[in-house]
Amino acid sequence: MSVMLKAENLHHRVSTSEGPLTLLNDISLQLPMGQSLAITGASGSGKSTLLGLLAGLDRPTEGKIWLAGEEITAMDEEQRAALRARCVGFVFQTFQLLPGLTAQENVMLPSELRGERNAGKRAQEFLERVGLGHRLHHYPRQLSGGEQQRVAIARAFCSIANDSSTADNGILFADEPTGSLDAHNGEKVIDLLFKLNEETNTTLVLVTHEQRLAERCGAHLRMAAGEITTADLPDNYLGDQAGVSV
Amino acid sequence: MLPLKLLGRDWRGGELALIATALVLAVSCVTAIAHFSDRLTRAMHIQSQSFLAAERVVQSSKVVPQEWLSKAEELGLEQAQTTTFASMLSAGDEFQFASVKAVTNAYPLVGHLEMRANASDEPRTVQQGPVPGEVWLEARLLPLMDLQIGDQLQLGDGDFAITGILDHEPDRGANLFSMGARLMMHQSDLAATNILQPGSRVTYRYLFSGDDAALNSYFTWLKPQLTEHQRVIDLEEGQPRVARTLDRAESFLFLAASLAVLLASVAVGLAARRYGLRHANYVAVMKSLGAGKNKILGIYIGQMTALALIATAIGLAIGSLIQAQAVNLLEGFFPVAPPPSGIQPLWVGLATGVACVIGFAMPPLFRLAQTDPMQTLRQDWSNPDKREWLGLIPGPLSMLLLIWWLSGSLAITLALLAGLGLLIAGAAVVNRLLVRGRLASLGGSWRIALGSLQRRAGFNTLLIAAFGTGLLAMLAMFYARTALIDEWQMQLPENAPNHFLVNIAPYELDGVKQKVEGKNLEGTEFYPMVRGRLIAVNGTPVNEREQKDGSIRRELNLSWTDTVPADNKIVAGEWWSEDLNEGVSVEVEVAARLGLSLGDVLRFSIGGLETEATITSLRTLDWNSMRPNFFMLFAPGSLDTFPATYIQSFYLPPEDKLFVNELVKNFPSVSIIELDKILENIRETIGQVAIAVESVLALMLVAGVLVLVAGVRASIAERLQEAAVIRTLGGRRQLLIRSLMIEFGLLGVAAGLLASIGTEATLAVLTQRVFDMPFQFHPGLWVIGPLAGALLVGTAGTLACRSAVSQPPLKVLRELA
Repeated sequence: MSVMLKAENLHHRVSTSEGPLTLLNDISLQLPMGQSLAITGASGSGKSTLLGLLAGLDRPTEGKIWLAGEEITAMDEEQRAALRARCVGFVFQTFQLLPGLTAQENVMLPSELRGERNAGKRAQEFLERVGLGHRLHHYPRQLSGGEQQRVAIARAFCSIANDSSTADNGILFADEPTGSLDAHNGEKVIDLLFKLNEETNTTLVLVTHEQRLAERCGAHLRMAAGEITTADLPDNYLGDQAGVSV
Repeated sequence: MLPLKLLGRDWRGGELALIATALVLAVSCVTAIAHFSDRLTRAMHIQSQSFLAAERVVQSSKVVPQEWLSKAEELGLEQAQTTTFASMLSAGDEFQFASVKAVTNAYPLVGHLEMRANASDEPRTVQQGPVPGEVWLEARLLPLMDLQIGDQLQLGDGDFAITGILDHEPDRGANLFSMGARLMMHQSDLAATNILQPGSRVTYRYLFSGDDAALNSYFTWLKPQLTEHQRVIDLEEGQPRVARTLDRAESFLFLAASLAVLLASVAVGLAARRYGLRHANYVAVMKSLGAGKNKILGIYIGQMTALALIATAIGLAIGSLIQAQAVNLLEGFFPVAPPPSGIQPLWVGLATGVACVIGFAMPPLFRLAQTDPMQTLRQDWSNPDKREWLGLIPGPLSMLLLIWWLSGSLAITLALLAGLGLLIAGAAVVNRLLVRGRLASLGGSWRIALGSLQRRAGFNTLLIAAFGTGLLAMLAMFYARTALIDEWQMQLPENAPNHFLVNIAPYELDGVKQKVEGKNLEGTEFYPMVRGRLIAVNGTPVNEREQKDGSIRRELNLSWTDTVPADNKIVAGEWWSEDLNEGVSVEVEVAARLGLSLGDVLRFSIGGLETEATITSLRTLDWNSMRPNFFMLFAPGSLDTFPATYIQSFYLPPEDKLFVNELVKNFPSVSIIELDKILENIRETIGQVAIAVESVLALMLVAGVLVLVAGVRASIAERLQEAAVIRTLGGRRQLLIRSLMIEFGLLGVAAGLLASIGTEATLAVLTQRVFDMPFQFHPGLWVIGPLAGALLVGTAGTLACRSAVSQPPLKVLRELA
């Protein structure tokens, strides 16, 4: 099984007024294509920072990351953005829909950024798949929280399933996808997320507080103080390097 | 065309509307002012050129070579000629001395004549003088010679029919000392009168108009050929008073346009900053979706360029419409209809749009493109950037370049730069004092207001500077306008003397005095006068100096008096006293030009005799006073041995005009110089300039209000959110309203205080350096500034945030989310 995501000896430090602060300390992992990984931990444990680094939103202070077979730590910001445009989708805790755009326009945005022609049609398809075919022209403020997160999920999958790639080499990063939802809506959103993940054979990395949600993933890393404290994961999820925190 | 697509969508989101509105208002305001200034300047020039009846004039005491006129024709210049001389008219047994003016068909090239074909008619405007064989007379000549329209009169060997009363000629002031009532005739009739003989005292005036290039080319060619009998007259020389008024008005209008540009750009800057902050999360999301920095820049710059093009086009159109409407509304006030403006105002508007976009709207976009996509995970949209101050450089820089281009003055530009720097530094200091103050102890509303000010301390510095700029521009313009208009009105008070009596013989003096005083006219004292030429200073002949100074090239009017004349002031030496009873007091400017100082001995030639006098004092005097003024005033008795005549000026109300005839009949040898028509023309022009200045001030107020609105809106979202949270927690409506009023009121007071300091400094520079007027302290300004700031900013801020207290807090929070 080929590897979709691989990290080796990641360290991440930032400067603060009180001196340097270590956010991540010696993290290594690898994630096979089409599989799912949950990262849990208390607030400030470094899980969102790790998610951002793995998605190429930032560069680690030390260490290497490969995404879809390419070393993103060797890339500049433009190259990483281009890679994200090709094969990365995001679902955020606070949905991050652009308030001036309708549901369909929000979902179209990734395709439009890539300059694809059939963005509208594809967005409509995904919105229908998340059950919002009747809400295409509604603005975020006209949608409930659960509906907004479904739009965000449609956008994430639309982002991965593009002209230049097939969904099965795409990866979806979800940061607390149910964090802003009630239990009922959270459940519906998670069902939807896993259903689409399965249908499109995408790889899934999600950060969550919810044990129940983490248990639905194939693997589960627990973090504290920037380190992996425990890991429930098959062998092929581990990095090749020594020092993998298990 | 993703940027255009997104532009359309963003527009619906309302974010771009604010920046577009600021840009449209910026461009329209500046375009309107530029158009208005351009048209008014043109109108003022036409009005002022009408004082010459042409754009430029060659005045000569001899007929000029035909070649000069042919050259002007070659260059496509319009031409007209006038010939002016004094002559005796006769009609039956009546004889009267008159000032005759013969004119060609094209006269006047600029301006118009006013005449009546019947005494009972209203004066009508005509563009041409009398036809051959006919003459027009000034009204008072008819009763003086017992004539009526339709009668004949004789001038030299010619008989002429009187076909009109001449009420107005544009260049009546061209020869201030032309004496006698006017007779206007056609130039072609001159030869038949046989009046002009070699040696006759005649003034030939050759009038020229045309485009600037042709005029410049012609006069460059002509000037080396002028002899001592000829001189070129333009507005500066012909009407220095009007020229100075125009200069000051133009400086004011340029300054107003520059400040409007500054205000408008501050408004755009505030709106763009808010746009940038609000879009940080958009960009972070787009980046996480795979948009690179260049893509983001491409999208936003593309959007902004499209927006700028549309907004600038709309602004240019609105600005043009506003000024057209303003000119239409004010049409009745203008003696000359303002001609259409050229293309320059559109360039100014376009340049404003470009400068606002490049200097103020683009920097936040470049900063936006740097947004860290990790923010999508951190929920932090504040986008802190230690280099934020770098983004503040392009705005002021582009504005200063624009203002430099507009004003053409590096000094004004640097003064504004220094002023802006001081304003921002002052804003930082005032803001620090404000947030450190102990006002919070005053109570709940104060605590909330102070807390809000402290949280936004950094941005408030910018806000105070922006409000301060707005208030400064409005106050400076208001006070500058008041100073200018007051000064102009003082130049020509309503009852300024408008008639001069000259050549009053000593034996006529008592009679004339009785006549003038009997009429209860406001007049000056009667000054004795002898004509003399300055021939040597400290024994050195003045021949060499003569080339340099026109004031001593001709004979001077020398006078004496025992009291310092009104409007004169001794600035060096002493006036006459018991101990000092001989010498001469010299006007200070002529003394400076000739290098004269106290103690120098001047030698004069008077009627072939010579006399010497030592300079004992230097005086300033007011040439605008319309009183007899003298370069040289002698001690009483110094010139008793020379034959003198007397001079006086008085104000004659228009309804008493026929009193001039009484004087002429009773004292035929006294010459009367009538300046009433000239003064009326000058007053009209100054009135027009004052209207221009006031109209531009109104537009400045619009630009100032724009800054206030943009400033308030730039910080409104956070304030709304805080207000909604406080209400949710049980804060009462009144408490919130009071705290908003206190917060914005304090910002306004701080801005007003800074504006007062800035305005006083600006006025000091403006009045002394630009308007050439003395410095004056304005105590009222120090009250009005903070008060106006508190009222304007407090009201605008509270009104803008009222939705936070009038709507359910949940609704406000949902909308802001």
